[in-house]
Formats: sequence, structure tokens, C-alpha cells
Amino acid sequence: MIDFPKRRIMTAALAATVAFAVGALAPGAGWAEDGYPTRPITMLIGYAAGGQTDLVGRGAARVLSQELGVPVNVVNRPGSGGLVATQALQRTQPDGYTILFQGHSVVNADPFLVAQADFVPDDFEYAGMITAFQLGLATQRDAPYDTLAEFVEWARENPGFVYGSLGPGARLYMEAIAEAEGLQANIIPLQGGGDMVNALLGRQVVLAYSGGLHYRYPDELKTIATTTTYRHPSAPDVETINEQGYPLGMDTRTTLILPRGTPRPILERLSNALAAAQTDEEFLRMTASADIPVMYLDLDQAAEEVHQSYETNLAIFAAAGIEPR
Amino acid sequence: MEHLIAGFANVLMPATLIWIVIGVSLGYMLGAMPGLGKATGVAVAIPLTFYLEPVAAIAMLIGIAKGSTAGSAVAAILLNTPGEPSSAPTALDGYPLARQGKAQKALKMGLFASVIGDFLSTLLLIALAAPLARYALLIGPVELCAILFFSLTFIGGLAGGSMIKGLIAGALGVFFATVGLELETFIPRMTFGTLELDDGISLVPMAIGMLAVAEMAVQAGKMRELDSAAATIVDGAHPNDRRVTRAEWLRCLPAIGRGTAIGSAVGILPGLGASVGSFLSYGVTRKLSKTLEAFGTGMIEGVAAAESADNAVVPSSFVPLFALGIPGSVIAAILIAALIMHGLTPGPRMFVEQPQMVANIYAAMLCASVIMLAIGLLGQKLFAQVIRVPLRRVIPVVLFLCCVGAYMDSGSIFSIYVMLFFAVLGYFSRKLGFSFVTFLIGFVIGPNLELTFRQSLQILNHDPMRLMGHPVAVVFLVLTVVVVVAIAFSNSRAAVREELAARAATSNPRKLEEENR
Repeated sequence: MIDFPKRRIMTAALAATVAFAVGALAPGAGWAEDGYPTRPITMLIGYAAGGQTDLVGRGAARVLSQELGVPVNVVNRPGSGGLVATQALQRTQPDGYTILFQGHSVVNADPFLVAQADFVPDDFEYAGMITAFQLGLATQRDAPYDTLAEFVEWARENPGFVYGSLGPGARLYMEAIAEAEGLQANIIPLQGGGDMVNALLGRQVVLAYSGGLHYRYPDELKTIATTTTYRHPSAPDVETINEQGYPLGMDTRTTLILPRGTPRPILERLSNALAAAQTDEEFLRMTASADIPVMYLDLDQAAEEVHQSYETNLAIFAAAGIEPR
Repeated sequence: MEHLIAGFANVLMPATLIWIVIGVSLGYMLGAMPGLGKATGVAVAIPLTFYLEPVAAIAMLIGIAKGSTAGSAVAAILLNTPGEPSSAPTALDGYPLARQGKAQKALKMGLFASVIGDFLSTLLLIALAAPLARYALLIGPVELCAILFFSLTFIGGLAGGSMIKGLIAGALGVFFATVGLELETFIPRMTFGTLELDDGISLVPMAIGMLAVAEMAVQAGKMRELDSAAATIVDGAHPNDRRVTRAEWLRCLPAIGRGTAIGSAVGILPGLGASVGSFLSYGVTRKLSKTLEAFGTGMIEGVAAAESADNAVVPSSFVPLFALGIPGSVIAAILIAALIMHGLTPGPRMFVEQPQMVANIYAAMLCASVIMLAIGLLGQKLFAQVIRVPLRRVIPVVLFLCCVGAYMDSGSIFSIYVMLFFAVLGYFSRKLGFSFVTFLIGFVIGPNLELTFRQSLQILNHDPMRLMGHPVAVVFLVLTVVVVVAIAFSNSRAAVREELAARAATSNPRKLEEENR
């Protein structure tokens, strides 16, 4: 990192003078013919700075800013797992100058869990998806089970085992499996990824729901099933939960969400700009070091994914008897 | 070791050093301003760090963390407005010292204690990060629950004038901490349909309202009296009031040692946080002192104990970050993001794959400690002038800063409402003699206690006999019982003494009021 003296001096000088105008550092590449965008864009992120979504969002904002030629300013509006930011987005004009960068679980899962998240997919427009979350069930490397079937067998001999959950969605997996197989599980609440890794490394739990953070510990932790409908690039041999006979897979990908009624040309402009992240060196280096797979979908694929996963999840939550509260 | 020497060579270049100086200065300044602090500093710095080199970026963030922790003592001592809850114990004795004309002495002691605690804790991080983090993993929810339970007994020591009022305030703190999503089912509790409350009442605007805004309101109420007192203070200052004497150093060193040890231990353990460290350290030093009653009236040891622990927490909270990649604090979470932004993966493999990078960061941390001493001494000369400024000028500035600090916590006006709500609560608790310190203890410890208790129930499979498999937890539970019994005894003795004193009928009203704070 010491071989960029010129860049360092330049950024130092710039950063000192224009500390707040982050996006302004980008060169004015490719002004739009149709006029959009002509002024800075605000990107809402529904989590505090420092988390995975924030990280990817800032990376994406930099790429968007390069492609669109205007600053894209990140504004963190943390609260209630992104719901505060999502509601804030609903109150803005559908002019493409306020966008939300958020996992699409806020539309395809939260409405089934939280009464106040009374959204349906058609309440928003989607300008593309960029990264996927590697959600799965993780355990210690030396655990005597590598698949869900082996875990169930082990769990029958060890009633009262401890499973780490990150919320009602994560509880659902163990509750559904335990009910189907007649297991006696103790489910403990964990608060966030750090807590989850702590519990796994400290052997407080025998299995935990992970948002993907556990892939940073390849020597100590392993995955026995993904809870997504796709296999994980970080562990391509691990089968999905659907493949292992429990049709519970639910996906979330980071998505550019806009208010309903945003004109299609604007969505196309954003979608094309987001596509550049797939080949942006700095963006790829960052996602690689955080084990975040880049799985780009354009605006039409994104809209279809939201609608289709909404229907799938609706069936899963209804079958589990979970009501929004 | 050779990595560390090379690390110093890398860090001691102007291009890196300047960012450490900027980080520490920015942090110290923000910390010293009531209402602003770590949270504000980080918010300002995040966009910057993404454009810096990794070492410079991380060094600057660490500088902000260290600087703001030390700087927060300044506002606590001079204005009785700790910007962050972890500095609240500093104000207990620091502010009375300042009112006695010994502001510079208190400020210096606070800074020295901060630097010593910070430096030693950093050395501990460098020497023992990997083994310590492994050991800390053995401290699971069951042990944490017992430690938190034990921490609650400090309500007894810090309740001030009335134990009953102290307990009521503590319980109120726990009560307000229950607002938000319930842990397991995520059912909202007492949010009245407000999404902003789903994540609970945020600590930063709550603390700003309770500690800073409320204090300003109280001081505004007796502005004339305080201003005239301030005028006489400045004139009558003895040279010894402006420095730390040899005898005071000797008295404070054990307190600093304990504070450093407590702060370091608290920092390593997950889920305890800086406030628990400084409250614990202040409580222990007070308990061990021969002149227990004098605490809260301007004991320099109180400042030393609180500040050394407060600052020792910062480096040691990076232990889980460096060794395991787990964030132990908000700043640590930001550091992880900064590392990843630059293509580095924090965690156990960082030592193997990037030993030079780790050594560079360590070197930067040690440099930040030394720089903090210089910036602190320089800054204090400036800040100490605040005490001469009439309150009518100070109060509006402080209120403005408080609003900025609260707003930046979530970027929404809702945080300012939270701040105002707790300002009203804080005002009446001061007027009615309810301790806001025990309120804070309840607020900070309550939610963690609930989480770890519920985790423990499941881990122990609802079987109390399984507790025997957790000896650390048993030790702390026994300690809790011992301390509670001891407090009960000393209180009944104190009650007798107080009655005798009341009969003597010449109690000093000013002193009583100080105690009730």
C-alpha cells in the first residue's frame, strides 16, 4: 500500500480541503443526455456505518458516482433493520435523486415479520442488485456433522443442544427442522454477527445462523447448509437447505430501491451504472476481502427476483405459522 | 519485534504521522466539547478514511477514539457535562475540584491517568492480543451475566445521599433500557408504534440530554451565584492548585493501576463497554479508600480512577478485533470496515498474512498515546480558560453542540427529541436528588444483563445445577452476595451516624447538595 505516493498526496490535499464532498473526487465522466442526473444523489443506507451493507453501499456509491458524473452522498439512517430508512424513502420524490441501498429482505421478508412493514413489492421500483448475502448454518470445523441430515442424527442423541439465532427469521429454521424431526432445541438470541462468531468460536452453541461472517474463519468454522436458494461461492460444495430436503431457502441481495413511480429511463441509467461495479477493481478487491459475492442483476431481473421471492417467502412464513407483529 | 521496529519506521513518516496528529487533535477537541464525542468524530472521519492509505486511515480513527476518550474529561471537569457516559464518574470529583479553583490540577491528573491507562493497555494489546482473545472466548454468556449482576452492586456505592433514591433511579434506567424490540421474538416493547424506537433508546442522545443539557439547565438556574463564585476562584489560585503534587501522585498511582487493570479487562470482554469500566474503577477506588465519604467532594483519586479505566478500555477493546476479527466497540466496527475497504481481512489470519500491517497499526497506536499527552497539555491551557467565561456565554454554545451531537447519532431529528426528553428527566432528577449515575448504570447494564440472562437460561438448559460447570460465574455471584450484605451493614451504621450528625444540627447544605448529584 506504500506504492502510491502521488495518489496519497493528492487525496490528502483534497481530503483536507473538501472533507465532506466525497463524491466530488470523481472525474466528470459521461453526463447524461436526458438530463439525469444533474445534481448530487443521496444514497440512504439503513444501517450504521461499519456493517456489511454500509461497506458495499459506499463501494457502490463510488462506482455510481464515477459512472454518473455527479456525487453520490451516503447518508446512514439506521433503525429497525433498515425499516426506518425504507419509510424515509417512501416519503421522497420519485425523481431518482434519493435512492436506498438495502438488502431486498426489507421487501420480501420483513413484511411477514413486522406489522409496520406493510410493503408489497409494487410499492417500490428496483434499479438492480449487486451483491448477495451468504446466509447459512455454521458450526465449528471439528463438529461431527457436515450436512443437515448428519446434524439431525447427532441432535437426536444430544437433546437440549444450543442453537444461536439472530432474529425471528433465523429461529424459523431451527423451529421448522426441530418440529419436523422431533428434536429438542434450546435457541439462544444472539445480537449481530460479532456476537454470533464469538458464540461459535467460544463453543457456546453447536450451530448458528450466520449472515456470512463465518467465512472469514476458514480454519475454525464451516457451513453445513446454506439457507439461500443458491450455493455460496465461498463454499460451493455445501448444499442448499432446499437441496437437503427442507424447502426453506430465502435470499437477500443488496438492491438499489427507489420510490414507486420513478421513470424507467432513470432506473435504466442507474442499472447500467451499477453494472460497472462488476468490473471495478477497487470494488472487487473490497468484496473479495469480505467474502461478499458479486451477483449482479439488472433492473428487470431485480424486479422479477423481488416479486418471485416475495411469493416463495409468503408460503414459507404461512406454513411456519408466523404472523407479522 | 523486528516488525514493530519497521512499523515505527513506517509510521514516523510525516505522511502518516500527520494523520495521527489530526485524529488525536480532532478527537480531543470533540471530546472536550460537551455533546460531541467519539460518535461525532467517527461520522466526520469515515468518508475521509476511505481516501487514505490503510495505516493512515486506521491511525486516524484510533487517534480519534483515544483523543475523544481523554478529551471528554475536560467537559466533565470544567462544566460538569460529560459528553459520554463513561466520563460521568470523572465529573463526580472533577467538577467539585474545578469549583475549588483546582481545575488545572484535575485536568492534568485526568490527562496523565488517561495516557498511562491508554499506553499500558496498548502494550497489553501488543504483547497478548492473541492469547487474551482466546481466553476471553471462554467467558460466555453465563459468566458475563454473573459479572454484570455483580456490576449492579455499584449502584450501592454510587447512589449518593439516599440508597432508596439511588435504587429507584437505577430501576428507572433499566426500565428505559427495555424500550425496543424484544430479543427473541422481535416484538416491539413500549415503542408506541414508533419505528425509531425499535432499536431502543440510543445511548448517545440519552446521555447528552441527561448529563449535559440537564446540567446546563440547572446551572442556568443559579447562574449569578456560579458566576460570582467563578470570579473569586480564579483570583485566589495557589500554584499547587495548578499542578499535581508529589503526595497526590503517590495517592493516585494505585488508583491508576487498578483503573488500567479494570479497564483492560472490561475492554477485552464482549458486551461490557467503556461505561462499565469507569464506573467499576471509580466504585472500587472509592470502596478501598479510607476517606470514603470525601468522594464526590473533590477527591483527585476519583478523577484518576475513572479516567485511567475509561482510556484503558479503548486499546483493549481492539483485542478481539485484531485476534479474532470481532468488533468490541463501535470504533472497532468502523476499523473493520476501513481494513476491508483496503482489501485486508481482519481476523486470526491477519497476523500470518499481514504481520507488517498489524505491526504498523500497533506502532501508530503507541505514537497516538504520546501525541495525546502533548495535545492534551497544549489543549488544556486553552480549555481551562472556559471556567472564566461567564455562563451566559457558555450555555448557548453547549446547547448548540448538544443538538449537533444528538442529531449526528442517527441523522434524524428524532434523536433531538430523545435528548430533550431526557434533559427534562435529568433536570428533575438533579433537583430531587435522584442519582443520574445509578440511572446510567441501570440503563447500560440492564439490556446486556437481560440478553446474557436469557442466553444463560438456554445454555444451562434451565438447570441451576449446571451452574457448577461455570466456576467464574459462581465466584462473581458469591461476590455479589458478599457486597450486598456489606453495603447493608455499612448503611445501617451510616444511618446511625447521620442521625447523630443531624442532632448536632450544623450540617452544611452546600455539601449535602454536592452529594446528591
